Amino acid sequence: MRVQRVTNPGWKAVTHAAKPRGTKIGTRNVENTMLLVITLTAAVIWIFPLYWAFVTSIRSEGHVVSEAAGLLPDMFSLAAYSDALFNSNLLTWYVNSIGTSVIITVLVLISGMMCAYALSQMRFAGRRVLYAVVLASFMIPSQALVVTQFVLMSDLGLVNTWAGIILPQLIVPVVIIVYKQFFDAVPKEMREAVLLDGGGEYTLLFKVYLPLNWGITSALAIITFIMAWNQFFWPFLVITSENMMTIPVGITQVRDTFGVNYARVMAVALLGAAPVAIAYLIFQKKVTEAVMISSGVKG
Amino acid sequence: MTGVTLTSVDKVFGSAKIIDNVSMDIAKGEFAVFVGPSGCGKSTLLRMIAGLEETSAGTVEIESRDVTQVEPAQREVAMVFQSYALYPHLSVFDNMAFSLRLAKTPKQQITAQVNEAARILKIEEQLDKKPSKLSGGQRQRVAIGRAIVRQPKVFLFDEPLSNLDAELRVQMRLELSQLHRQLGSTMIYVTHDQVEAMTLADKIFVLRGGVVQQSGTPLALYDDPDNQFVAGFIGSPAMNFLTATISAVTREGVVASIEGSGGQTLEATLRDTSLDIGQNVVLGIRPEHLHIREEGFSATVEMTENLGGVAYLHSRLAGGQKIVIERRGERQAYQCESISVWADAKHVLVFDQGGQRLR
Repeated sequence: MRVQRVTNPGWKAVTHAAKPRGTKIGTRNVENTMLLVITLTAAVIWIFPLYWAFVTSIRSEGHVVSEAAGLLPDMFSLAAYSDALFNSNLLTWYVNSIGTSVIITVLVLISGMMCAYALSQMRFAGRRVLYAVVLASFMIPSQALVVTQFVLMSDLGLVNTWAGIILPQLIVPVVIIVYKQFFDAVPKEMREAVLLDGGGEYTLLFKVYLPLNWGITSALAIITFIMAWNQFFWPFLVITSENMMTIPVGITQVRDTFGVNYARVMAVALLGAAPVAIAYLIFQKKVTEAVMISSGVKG
Repeated sequence: MTGVTLTSVDKVFGSAKIIDNVSMDIAKGEFAVFVGPSGCGKSTLLRMIAGLEETSAGTVEIESRDVTQVEPAQREVAMVFQSYALYPHLSVFDNMAFSLRLAKTPKQQITAQVNEAARILKIEEQLDKKPSKLSGGQRQRVAIGRAIVRQPKVFLFDEPLSNLDAELRVQMRLELSQLHRQLGSTMIYVTHDQVEAMTLADKIFVLRGGVVQQSGTPLALYDDPDNQFVAGFIGSPAMNFLTATISAVTREGVVASIEGSGGQTLEATLRDTSLDIGQNVVLGIRPEHLHIREEGFSATVEMTENLGGVAYLHSRLAGGQKIVIERRGERQAYQCESISVWADAKHVLVFDQGGQRLR
C-alpha cells in the first residue's frame, strides 16, 4: 500500500500531462452554461404563472384589467388577501379541506395497509382473484363512476356532507399495490420469528411490517393528502352549499356583485395552495420518493 | 428423559414427499445435528419441530408432550435463523425483549433476563444499538440471545453460521459448543457442513431424500457408516471408493480384486463371509488409512496438495479410479510418480452394489 501511495501522484501527473487540460474543462464549461440557461428558462416559464398570480393579487383591480399592466405591480396592496380572509368563506373552506383531506389520508392508509397485508401475507381462498380486482380497478377512470357515485351519495343523503366528499375518494388501489410490494419484500424469516416469539397477525402488522415500512407510509400519506387537497371535480359535484366547500371549489365562488374580482381570486388561490406548498417544502424528499414509488420507478 | 421425539413423521408438498417416515429420539440436553446435502429435507424437519411447517403424518413430541397440532409460540422452542431475522427497527435490547413483552412479562424481569443473556453472549455493550450497526458475528449473538431469553425447552438452529466468514464461523462454532455446555438445553442444529456437524454434535442424523440414513455419535458415523452415502458424506477429504470383485473368501474376510488394475487386490475384514466369489462390491478406504508400501496396489500421483502438517496426494489407479492419500509428517510430493499403496484390512469397508455396508 505504501508503495502505491508514493506512485499515485506521479501516475496522476502523467495522465494530466497527456490530456490537453484546457480544452476538456472548456468544453465542460460551455455544456454546463448551456444546461444552466435551459434549466433557468424552463424554471422561469414554470414560475411565471405563479408570479403573475401573486402580482395580480397585490395590484389594484383597475390595473389588473388594464392593457398597460406590466410585469411589475403598480402598487403593493394586501387588500385582496384581507378581503379573501375576512369577507369570504375561506376559513370555513380551509377547515373543510383540512378535515376531509386528513380523514381521507388516514382512512386510505389504514384500509390500504390492511388490505395489502392480507393480500401479501395471509393465505385464503380467492386471494389472487381479489388482488386482480384491485389491479383491475386501476383501469377504470374515476370520471366513469361519477354519475353512479353521485346517485349513490344522493340516495344515501350524503350530498353536501363531508362523508359525501370523502367516501368515493377512499378507493386508491395504488396504496394497496405499493404496500403489498413492500410487505412482499419483508423476508419470510421475519414473519416466522414473530410467530415463534408469540406474536399474531396484529403484532406482525403493527409492530413489525408497519414500522419496517415507515418511510413508505409517510410518503404515501403525503401524496394521498396532496391528492385529496387538490381534488376539484368530485367535491365540485357533490357540494352545492358554500359552507361545505373545499378550497379548490370555493375559489369558483369568489366573485362580487360586479363580477369576478381577479385580485381576490388570485389571493384565494394562493392562500389555498399555501398549505400544500409548505408541506411540500418540508417533506420534499418524501414526496419525490412517493411519486417515484407509485409510478414504479423505484421499489 | 426425552427432549424431542419424532414418530413416523411425513411431510408432503403436493405429490412430493419431502420427509418420509422419520422417527428419532433426541435426549434432553443433547446437541443433535441434522446434516445432509441441500434439498435433503433437514431444514423442513427442523421447521416441522418448530411448528412453522405442518406435519402431514406422524407425531412430534417435546419433552413427552405431543405438540403436533400446537402453534409455534406454544411449543416452547426458540429458533435462530440463517438470516438472523432480527427486527431492524428495534434496538438489540428490544429485539431480545420482544417475545417477553408479548408474553406480558414484568419489566424488571425482562431487563434481568435480557441483561443475563447479553452477559452470557458478551454483548452488553451493544444493547442500545440497532442491528444494522453490528457486525455479522454480533448479529448472530443477538439472534442467539433472542432465543436464550425465552428460556425454551429446545433451541433450533437453521444453518446459523452460513453467513459468516470462515474464521468467525470457527469461533462461533466453539462458542455455541460452550453455550450448550453452559445452558445444558436440548439443541437441534441444521447444517450441510459435515465439519460443523462433527465438531458440535452429541448425535448426528444424516439425511438424504427425506430419510434418515443413519444416526449416532460423530465418531460412530465416521468409523462405522451404515451405507456408502454416510461414509462419503462424513469426513473430509471424503472416503475413497473403489469398485472391485470378490476374488477369495478367507476366515477373516475377503480378498477383492480392484477393477481395471490388472488383478491387484486388497484385503478387507468381514464378519459375514457368505459373499460369492465374483460378486461386485465397492471398497471404502479413508485417505488417512492409505499408506505407501511396497506390497500394495499401484497408483500414479497426479497432484499434491501440501498443507504443511498434512499432504493430500490426488492419485489415479491403472483402471482410471481416483483415490486421495493422506500423508502426515512427510512433504515429499511424489508428483507424477508411480507409488504403491496399501491399507490395513480392518480399515477397508465393503459395500454392496446398492451402497449398503457389508459387515
